[in-house]
Amino acid sequence: MPLELLLILVVGGIAAVTLVLHLLGLSDVPALDAAQAKAAWDREYPADPAIHCTPTPNARAALIRTQNGQRGLVWRFGADTVAHPLSQYRITETPTGLTVRFRDYATPSVHVPLPAQVRAAWKQELEPAG
Amino acid sequence: MTDLSYPDVVQLAVPFFIAAIAIELAWIVIKGRGGRYETRDAVTSLIMGAGNVASGLVLGFVAYGFFMALWTLTPLDLGTGWWALLLCFVLDDLRYYWVHRFGHRIRWVWASHVNHHSSQHYNLTTALRQTWTGTFTFMMVVRAPLILLGFHPAMVLFCGGLNLIYQFWIHTEAIGKMPKWFEAVMNTPSHHRVHHGRNPRYLDSNYAGVFIVWDKLFGTFVPELDEEKPDFGLVHNIGSFNPIRVAFHEWVGIFRDVTQRGISMRDRLLYAVAPPGWSHDGSRGTSEEIQADHLRRHPEDRGTPGFKG
Repeated sequence: MPLELLLILVVGGIAAVTLVLHLLGLSDVPALDAAQAKAAWDREYPADPAIHCTPTPNARAALIRTQNGQRGLVWRFGADTVAHPLSQYRITETPTGLTVRFRDYATPSVHVPLPAQVRAAWKQELEPAG
Repeated sequence: MTDLSYPDVVQLAVPFFIAAIAIELAWIVIKGRGGRYETRDAVTSLIMGAGNVASGLVLGFVAYGFFMALWTLTPLDLGTGWWALLLCFVLDDLRYYWVHRFGHRIRWVWASHVNHHSSQHYNLTTALRQTWTGTFTFMMVVRAPLILLGFHPAMVLFCGGLNLIYQFWIHTEAIGKMPKWFEAVMNTPSHHRVHHGRNPRYLDSNYAGVFIVWDKLFGTFVPELDEEKPDFGLVHNIGSFNPIRVAFHEWVGIFRDVTQRGISMRDRLLYAVAPPGWSHDGSRGTSEEIQADHLRRHPEDRGTPGFKG
């Protein structure tokens, strides 16, 4: 197959699939409630289950406290979830919320959208201990 | 015989891949079952697929050069007959089984293969979420016996392409189970869903490419249980759709682990070649440790499929 034709097929195919998926509403991010956040955490860390989950006001992420006293964060990742312990990280405030940056190349950061009135409280909750 | 050539079947299959994805998506949308699609996940998978083809164009000469060098060494030539092709296909599938098994049991090889398991979805786009770094695993050496036995390198690569195309259609939730005789011999959507499951029961099982008999022969077969749906993805899922991070994250992980301070040379080596999840201080878990941990919490699962003893 000529390289030009292969390139057109690949680029055109990816663009077409992207457009169709988006138009079908498959880019929508579902809400994350406390029960879903707990399930998402326990799914990845079954040996240290979540005992307390606090979803953000917009229900895109949740702060987790675990049985062993660990803290973690669960957030929506497309239609799915990612769970990450709060270790080796730093927080920066942005105009729309907080960004948590991890020392993890596979999960470098997550932006947690937060209304201004709760941002300070969440920052305090998320701040590294000590 | 040095100038044998076969078509690049993977490139020729690209229109079929796109059409099949469209059909699967239409089925899921119309029927409301049979799998899930999410835009960014699917696009990442497709870009990984395109990158795989590109890396083959750029780096394919390394493996091909190695195979041609072997071809000049071997006194054997099995020719181009249909029986040679058939035998080559079966033996190359055996080769695939072992490379795939190494890919899950040796971190250096897992670093290349992990991206294929990094989606939490399981649909036809997941099939195309392929490695960009396969050349650097040096797993081409596992094909050396085929060349030395007298199978022409072009034939071996042609069979490898057919193998890859076969595996495309099994990446779907839209097909339940195939007829019993087929499930007994061939790799199927059901068997391969198990392979993509991150459930402790399903870890490190069903490595087959085309023939599931290899798993049955080598003791790695686990059936899909109706009562335990595979949970797709990695033990700890990654939080990035960036194809560069998807392609290289485990390599970066190896680099960071190997170059950390205060560990022995043995530990550094093991961070590269021990099974994924190995750590010098036991802070992570290998598949065996995850399964043992599961059995401590669920002793009733002991002796059931996927849990030995």
